[in-house]
Amino acid sequence: MVGMSVLRSAAALAARLSPLKPGNNVANLLSRSVARTDKVAVRWGHGKKMFIIKPTDYYDRRFLRLLQFYILLTGIPVAVIVTCVNVFVGDAELAEIPEGYVPDHWEYHKHPITRWIARAVFDPPEKEYEKMMALIQIEKEKEDLRLMQSEVRRQMRQKGDGPWYYVGTPDKGLIDYSHKSSPDN
Amino acid sequence: MPGDFDKGAYPEPPRQTPAPDKQTALPNPAIILSKLFYYAVDLPVTTARGVVDGLRSKNRPVYYHQKFRRVPDLTDCEEGDYLCYYEAEMQWRRDYKVNQEVLKIVQERMRACHQREGYSYEQNCAKEINEFNETAKNYQLCYGDLGAYASARKCLMKQKERMMEAQAETA
Repeated sequence: MVGMSVLRSAAALAARLSPLKPGNNVANLLSRSVARTDKVAVRWGHGKKMFIIKPTDYYDRRFLRLLQFYILLTGIPVAVIVTCVNVFVGDAELAEIPEGYVPDHWEYHKHPITRWIARAVFDPPEKEYEKMMALIQIEKEKEDLRLMQSEVRRQMRQKGDGPWYYVGTPDKGLIDYSHKSSPDN
Repeated sequence: MPGDFDKGAYPEPPRQTPAPDKQTALPNPAIILSKLFYYAVDLPVTTARGVVDGLRSKNRPVYYHQKFRRVPDLTDCEEGDYLCYYEAEMQWRRDYKVNQEVLKIVQERMRACHQREGYSYEQNCAKEINEFNETAKNYQLCYGDLGAYASARKCLMKQKERMMEAQAETA
């Protein structure tokens, strides 16, 4: 303990006498009252301005800027409209169909935007059903006609007497009966 | 709100959770966490929902469940009557969807029962489990392996195969 204080005061003396000598810096840790001249408080103000050379990112940033712009151009109105609809109008509630009442086809949907689309944009499902049935009917009629046509063709070919298939004979007026006018020749 | 059905149509069974029986003086971390969740998440969300409900229009629109008329089945159609086929096909598809939802509801009931009962679910909700097993078995027999391009014809052919197998077994 005593030796430590002797060592400490000796190190302080040495450091005070020649503070810039390299070995005396270690003593700074032990001494309590030596001016430290090599470690000055450094404050980073604005720093030195650097001209950093890097490849251009103008085109990348322009692309992202334009992407953002065009997405938000319709994105923000859509988001605002959908939020307003959901907050101010709200979903429909489920109810039993009253007696004798036939609901319109859009009244079977829950969300107001779906209802609007069903009312103003799409055809009613009954009409879609009927359109599909009309297509099926047309195709069925085409199929029937084609079957009938092939059957008729087969029959005519077989019998050889219909308006499509017949074996042609020359005209009666072209027959030369002159060698038959004198039978006993 | 998606996934929200009419609670009056399919009422949830009465809660059978037993009264808590504390046997230690230590705080129950589950209760702490649940209260934390309640105050941090549940209460703000519920109040927000209340605010939004207040803002919504008072005379709300209404929606109904559509009731379709029954049309002749595929077996009642004459051969080559494609319009009859189309109507039967549409009806079959609607029935398929309805059966899928029925199965989901029965499954939901069984799962709710399982969650309620905890460790003793096998004996306490035997009814729901049986109901689900039967519904699932019937669904599997009827619509089971039809695949993504299922149609009324394929279902009918599957039924025919089943009947043939049954006949082959009995004969």
